[in-house]
Amino acid sequence: MSKNSTIKNSKINSNHLNVLIIDDNEQITKMLTTFLELKNHNCIVSNDGKQGLALIQKNKHDVVLLDLAMPEFDGYSVIQALENKDQLKNNKIIVFTASTITQDELDELVNRGVTSYILKPIDIDLLLSKIIESATS
Amino acid sequence: MTIESLVENMFELDNPINELNRLLVKYDLTPNQAKVYLYLSKMGIKTASDVSKALKIPRTETYHLLSTLQQKGIIFSVFGKPTKFNAVGIDETVVILINNEQKRINELETGKEGIIKLWEMIPKYSENKNKSAENKFQTLQGRNSILVKLEQMIKESSENILVLGTDLDFKKFYHTDFTILLKKIKSDLKILSDYSNKGIHIFEDVPSKKIKKLDDKNREDFCFIIKDDSEVIFFVSKSESKDMMALWTDSKTFVITLRSLFSLLWKKAHHVDETNAESLLGSEITFEHRLREIEQEKIILNYLQKNFKLAENNGVKK
Repeated sequence: MSKNSTIKNSKINSNHLNVLIIDDNEQITKMLTTFLELKNHNCIVSNDGKQGLALIQKNKHDVVLLDLAMPEFDGYSVIQALENKDQLKNNKIIVFTASTITQDELDELVNRGVTSYILKPIDIDLLLSKIIESATS
Repeated sequence: MTIESLVENMFELDNPINELNRLLVKYDLTPNQAKVYLYLSKMGIKTASDVSKALKIPRTETYHLLSTLQQKGIIFSVFGKPTKFNAVGIDETVVILINNEQKRINELETGKEGIIKLWEMIPKYSENKNKSAENKFQTLQGRNSILVKLEQMIKESSENILVLGTDLDFKKFYHTDFTILLKKIKSDLKILSDYSNKGIHIFEDVPSKKIKKLDDKNREDFCFIIKDDSEVIFFVSKSESKDMMALWTDSKTFVITLRSLFSLLWKKAHHVDETNAESLLGSEITFEHRLREIEQEKIILNYLQKNFKLAENNGVKK
């Protein structure tokens, strides 16, 4: 039996989500993609805020994992651009950040239309359940 | 000193009344209307003939000026024969003139739909129905025309506004809608300026996390504002000179060039409040931020390693 098939059989999630990951940290996006694909989800990655925004606007994703701190066009800019075009609430956006951010700021993002937030570092199982929870909310 | 010489001195170049005259012209008064108003406000009740003689304005024109000023509500007539005129106080006058202008703008705004409706009723005579794809360039002369364009750009922006220039460049826009709109802006705002925490700063109401300090060596004579990476206003004359001049364009080449320059300077520049940087700057990478990222990488990596090992072991056992 091949490695892949063994892994796939080790723990199969019945959900099959289309996840868009927007994060400039290539290590994280690569590993997260591997992880989510192992869990039978489909991943699209953008390491650039502007390109990520275009992907959100072009295709429908079940959930978007959005990093806040990115060079040039950061996560805040993506949120702002979506908000300006009344597209923020139509997308399931999870802010996925390692930035120092206050609870008030997080609440404000949620009030504006962000689905939820995940602060790095987070346990991998918790991360997955948050993604599923947000996608199906 | 005779009244005649007093009047002559009144409008001499170094008299502050001249500056006042210039300012009143901005409130939709013609130079002669302003002159008549100022004359009456300083000299008190006068007949049309007195005004005409003192200001050396032909009598017919003087009557016309007095009538217009009366309609504006900033002078009034005193009953008698001949009719005499007097001016309303300067405080009240400024309020009246501002209200008049606001009323006029409101009327223009309400008439907007009617104009568009009428315009649409007129058939198009041009064959070309497509919007021109050519780059547009527009020269903006004077503070007001620049200000109108700037305000339009900020209001219409949906993605970002990038501002580069020194405090001196923008001081002429202090207390205008430009700074008010910047404060309220919904799109992403980035300002590169010679910001200092000391003294009054034109961008003082803008959150400091949106401002980076322009290095001294980059404080040369260039100043521009980019909207949504699609339009730019580039100032082409020094801000100290009386006539401000700027160039507006939607030329892709022009915009991309200035955008790249802005990005380069932004990357190298530092935020104005470095001490409080971590809490202020959502998008700044700090040491702690990097540590958290590494920790996250480690968590995912551990999981993957564990699963691959498990898979390998299962493979060996089989």
